[in-house]
Amino acid sequence: MRLRGRHWAVIWLVILLCVLVAITTRQTAGFRTARRVRELREERLALEARRADLERRIRVASSRQVLVPVAQRQLGLHEPSDSEFILFALPRSGSGKR
Amino acid sequence: MAKVSHRIAVLQFCFALAVLAVLGRAAYVQVIQRERWAREAEEQRTVRVVLPARRGALYDRNRVPLAITQEFYHVGVAPNELEDIRAGFLLLVRNLGTSAPALDREFQARKRWIYLHGPFNATQVQPLRGVRGIHLDGEFQRFYPSRDLARPIIGGIDPDRSSGAAGLELSLDSILTGRPGEAVFLKDRAGRRYESPGRMVREPVAGNDVVLTLDAELQEIAEQGLDDALVQLKAESGDVVFLDPATGELLALASRQAVEGDHPRASTFTDPFEPGSTAKLFTAAALLVHRRVDTTDAVFAENGQWEMPVNSAGRTRTIHDAHPSKGKLTLAQAIQVSSNIAMAKFASRLSPEEQFETLRDFGFGTPTAAEFPSESRGRFARPDRWQPMYTRASLAMGYEIGVTPVQLASAYAAIANDGVLMAPTLVKEVRDPAGTLLYRHRPEPVRRVISSEIATRLRGFLREAVGEGGTGGRGQLSNYALLGKTGTAKRFEGGRYVEGEYTASFAALFPADHPQLAVIVKIDNPKGSYYGGLTAAPVTRTMLQQALASRRVAIDRGRFATRDSTPEEEPKSADAPAGKPAVVVPWPARLDRPSGSPLPVPSVEGRSVREAALALHRRGFRVNLQGIGRVVRTQPEAGDSAPPGTSVFVYAE
Repeated sequence: MRLRGRHWAVIWLVILLCVLVAITTRQTAGFRTARRVRELREERLALEARRADLERRIRVASSRQVLVPVAQRQLGLHEPSDSEFILFALPRSGSGKR
Repeated sequence: MAKVSHRIAVLQFCFALAVLAVLGRAAYVQVIQRERWAREAEEQRTVRVVLPARRGALYDRNRVPLAITQEFYHVGVAPNELEDIRAGFLLLVRNLGTSAPALDREFQARKRWIYLHGPFNATQVQPLRGVRGIHLDGEFQRFYPSRDLARPIIGGIDPDRSSGAAGLELSLDSILTGRPGEAVFLKDRAGRRYESPGRMVREPVAGNDVVLTLDAELQEIAEQGLDDALVQLKAESGDVVFLDPATGELLALASRQAVEGDHPRASTFTDPFEPGSTAKLFTAAALLVHRRVDTTDAVFAENGQWEMPVNSAGRTRTIHDAHPSKGKLTLAQAIQVSSNIAMAKFASRLSPEEQFETLRDFGFGTPTAAEFPSESRGRFARPDRWQPMYTRASLAMGYEIGVTPVQLASAYAAIANDGVLMAPTLVKEVRDPAGTLLYRHRPEPVRRVISSEIATRLRGFLREAVGEGGTGGRGQLSNYALLGKTGTAKRFEGGRYVEGEYTASFAALFPADHPQLAVIVKIDNPKGSYYGGLTAAPVTRTMLQQALASRRVAIDRGRFATRDSTPEEEPKSADAPAGKPAVVVPWPARLDRPSGSPLPVPSVEGRSVREAALALHRRGFRVNLQGIGRVVRTQPEAGDSAPPGTSVFVYAE
């Protein structure tokens, strides 16, 4: 069958449509990826902020300013003077058998 | 009437003309004006955005964050865009912690745009993302997780320019600042922006992270100790410096000024003071370097008051000793009792140039070149500006010279470091955002100031200054000896000495053998007892006790125990279990004689060595461990009586 002029027009139209669909799909996928990347970045930022906040709270809670008065009040502990603790020397290597 | 074919021809011609006009215009627009219209279209459809780079973080030596950069947000609300105003309102109140009545008033006022400045962190705004009508405006902000810890040293940033404005934030700005990126966003008719991964022009590069030499735990001890001291002594201001003599690393720098509403400034670097007797050691060093004294040389101490001749015209200067001495004093004794008179007499044996050179070699009069901006060089005049007799004596007593606490710590560290002056530093490491090491500080010797032998002799002087009869006895610890020198100087302000106001100081090296810390404590204008030995020295002792008791402070405790333990001198016992690793308790550094009424030795058999040591210690006994594990017996045995202070040998299986 010999293709007539209108057949060619239809073929070109289909090709054009396919190209347009491909471009639009690619663009949409790009936007979707960008959105996903942004969401992940925001999620990471939120998690980092949460971690920093928790670290800060741990740091404050375990700081001497907070911990020492609590230990003194609730456990009756006190800051030791150097005469109240002992530094242990590690055994020398090879000095003992297991 | 024209024929139909003619009319059609005319119509076709007009149509052709119109088509040609359109084509011509299209060609003009697309070919000749191409760039202009392309640019205009680009501007309408895209927007070029600068992507800010995250500023690098500052950490302490144990990677405790001291300054980090986080993204914070301002929140804009368009009430007419909200699908459910009530739900949006609750979402904002619940997550941002804003005042409900205040926000309600904003909503009731029917504003088209409500702005909540915040700033709010990423966790707070996370539930608000994607909610129609709520717009987030993010920006990087500096955040200091450890609150005010070391803030005068760390400094701050200029919020307008996001660059360092003071302290280390300023001096390390080029390292901490990243390189901003750039991206092209698509935008629609309404101005909404759409990210597209293919349109990133340049990725932002975060700044480098800097690990400081500061030890957050020791810093906290220093700051707390200084705060307590200022309250207790009703003092105006003060400084504390902890420095590692072997490396020059500054471990803690605390500064406090009791001026209400003012942020503390880093006076450890910026404010020189006259050190008083803590500087006597450096004139002693000059005398030893130039061999103007030997161990037997002594000068008469004038019973505490001396009219020193200042010039040939008979002018004199009265010099007093706070602790008058009768008879003659050697150089070591002059340091021990902190005699101004003896030091002034000894100093007269030096030429101004000799005294100047030695003090200058210790680093006085020049900035230490630590990474802190606006560091003071101190005050130290050249010999050609001296009144020779007068200034020589003044310098020997620690007057007519202004030193910063860091300079003084560095000079004392040189004595601890066998005479080699090390460059003080605040930067331990620099790492890129991926964690790759870019720079690591290596100890940097500046010069050899004195010989190792002279350094050893000077340390001997310091040992006596905190020993029996010395002025610094209250700085001494019970079991781990330190070296130190007290200082008390009249305050020099506005070009004159202020009557009745003093600066008390204490310089210490700890421990006494192979010092790991050089410590300077300076207290300005303490009320009541103002002598350094009664004010700064006890503060130093308290801080060192806390540092020793803390597991996190960078002190090599192994070196204490290993050095102090002398296994070959430990009493050998035939009953000691063979082949067991000996756990040696270095107890004490200074052997005191047992004293007090005898007490029964408690029974600790079957307990762990830790429990046994604690139980015996509570009774006042010293403990010497043999073996590890469960205790099998003690010597003296349980129930035997022994005076407190007696060493109890604990044998464990």
